[in-house]
Amino acid sequence: MNSLYMPKDSLIHSLDPRTKMLFVVFVVASSFILNDPALQLVFLVALFPLVVLAKVVKPYLISIQFLLLFAVLIMTVHGIYNPIGVTPVFEIFGGLTFKYESMVYASVMSFRILVIGTAAVLFVMTTHPSDMASALVKWKVPHSFAFILLSTFQIIPIIAREAKIVMEAQQARCLDVKGSLIQRVKNLVPMFAPLFIITFMKVHQLSYVLECRAFSRKGEKTSLRETKIGSLDYTFLLGMLGFLAFEIYLKLFMMGSLQLTTDALLTYSLFGTWIVFGFMIIKFVVKQFQGKIGGAN
Amino acid sequence: MAAKAIEVNNLTFSYPDTDEPVLKDINFSINHGEILGIIGPTGAGKSTLAMCVNGLVPQVINGEMEGTVKVNGSKVSESSVAKMSEEVGFVFQEPENQLSQMTIEEEIAFGMGNLGVPRDEMLGRITHALDQVGLTGFEKRSPLALSGGQQQRLAIAAVLAMRPSIMIMDEPTSMLDPKGKNEVYDVLKNLKDYGMTGIIIDHEVERIAAYCDKVLVLHEGEVQMFAPSDEVFTNIRQLHELTLNAPQVTEFLASYNQTFGKDVKLSTTLEESVNNFESACK
Repeated sequence: MNSLYMPKDSLIHSLDPRTKMLFVVFVVASSFILNDPALQLVFLVALFPLVVLAKVVKPYLISIQFLLLFAVLIMTVHGIYNPIGVTPVFEIFGGLTFKYESMVYASVMSFRILVIGTAAVLFVMTTHPSDMASALVKWKVPHSFAFILLSTFQIIPIIAREAKIVMEAQQARCLDVKGSLIQRVKNLVPMFAPLFIITFMKVHQLSYVLECRAFSRKGEKTSLRETKIGSLDYTFLLGMLGFLAFEIYLKLFMMGSLQLTTDALLTYSLFGTWIVFGFMIIKFVVKQFQGKIGGAN
Repeated sequence: MAAKAIEVNNLTFSYPDTDEPVLKDINFSINHGEILGIIGPTGAGKSTLAMCVNGLVPQVINGEMEGTVKVNGSKVSESSVAKMSEEVGFVFQEPENQLSQMTIEEEIAFGMGNLGVPRDEMLGRITHALDQVGLTGFEKRSPLALSGGQQQRLAIAAVLAMRPSIMIMDEPTSMLDPKGKNEVYDVLKNLKDYGMTGIIIDHEVERIAAYCDKVLVLHEGEVQMFAPSDEVFTNIRQLHELTLNAPQVTEFLASYNQTFGKDVKLSTTLEESVNNFESACK
């Protein structure tokens, strides 16, 4: 399997892909409706039980690390340099001042990335690509588009294998792949030219095969994978709808009186990302170091 | 008289970028339930001929075509490749290029899905097709995790599940090891039991001689021989002129006859050759 799909038996897995796609749309919409750091943070935490429910906590944490990199960069750089900030909050290295407004801006942006990322990861990890394709077809998406989506999973490993063969073949013809950077960049041409040609030939051949498998035939198509919207899906959709209504209500009538965002919250979330980021760096360095001296594993 | 399974009349075809046609005035026909082997040197136009039968040439692969190709009595040029696929299945040379789905059962279901086969029937056909090619139990695996021979059998199963009446295999075994070749030919043999008509292009004369009813020898776009396989392979002199070989046993008997001035009856099967040789030596 080349996708991120985690075959597990959970409530989230058994939802219809269409429900999950709507869920992602809902999360994206919510992240824009709730443009307040505190509310977004609450939302992010509220999404976590779903991750637990889908039994993908560990792979989720691994993939969310990369999004955290963005969060750290955005929060730090925007917090200091964004010109909209006027009210200083605290200072580091005697001159770099974090300002309230810019921190709010940066937090909203980075939490939005994390929230949307969480939903996307949840979707990708719990939905089989083929299910997604057949669900798309049910939404009247052209069959060929669904096929393109699906075939990427198949064609990437094949191309990777071809690339390895081409590289080895060119190395056998004395192509220097370990030289200086400039040399290596120059060598991309003899690497990629054959690879492109091979790929085009393969795709060409695949198009004949598809033609022989009646791909362009008019009329109704059927699918082996069955996706059905059941009562669970309706419950989930209703929940989402209710939540959305609540958000809009919150946004329209409560924003004046509800002020959760404070200096402390912003500072702590900034420190939080720094600490987690610090752990990631330490882990990375330790791994590198182990590789250098140990080499056993 | 019932229509022939495949009927090719005065077929001439040339690719746009060449002066000389790849196929010159081809005529042949095969009956239902027969298996035809096409042999000939590389570049003789074997694949082009096969692709004319299901309409890939000239509908997808362009070129100039004259003459008619009829499948089950109707002209190929009057329907589309997708439509033809209901009657003619095509297996290509490279196994890997024919796979596009994530699991084996989906791979087989893909063609059926395009034909609009209901899901319940699909499941039955998948089981049956996998059974026909000996891949039962592999349903949930990824096609990329299979060996070459298994992949090729999967490609055959995917075509079989579409239930065509004619099956064309274009060098299905050239990428495979001997075991894989046997696997593919065993499937071919089974086709006959299901009453299907088959065309196979290959360089394996031994296996062609053993499995095919008729053999068509193509050389530079022209039909040089078209006869039952025994007749073709015992005509050793002409085969040699076309840089082709007969099965080893036939070659042996011919060479024996020539060297020692004997007149042993030629045969393409091992058993018969042994008997012929034994009775001649007495």
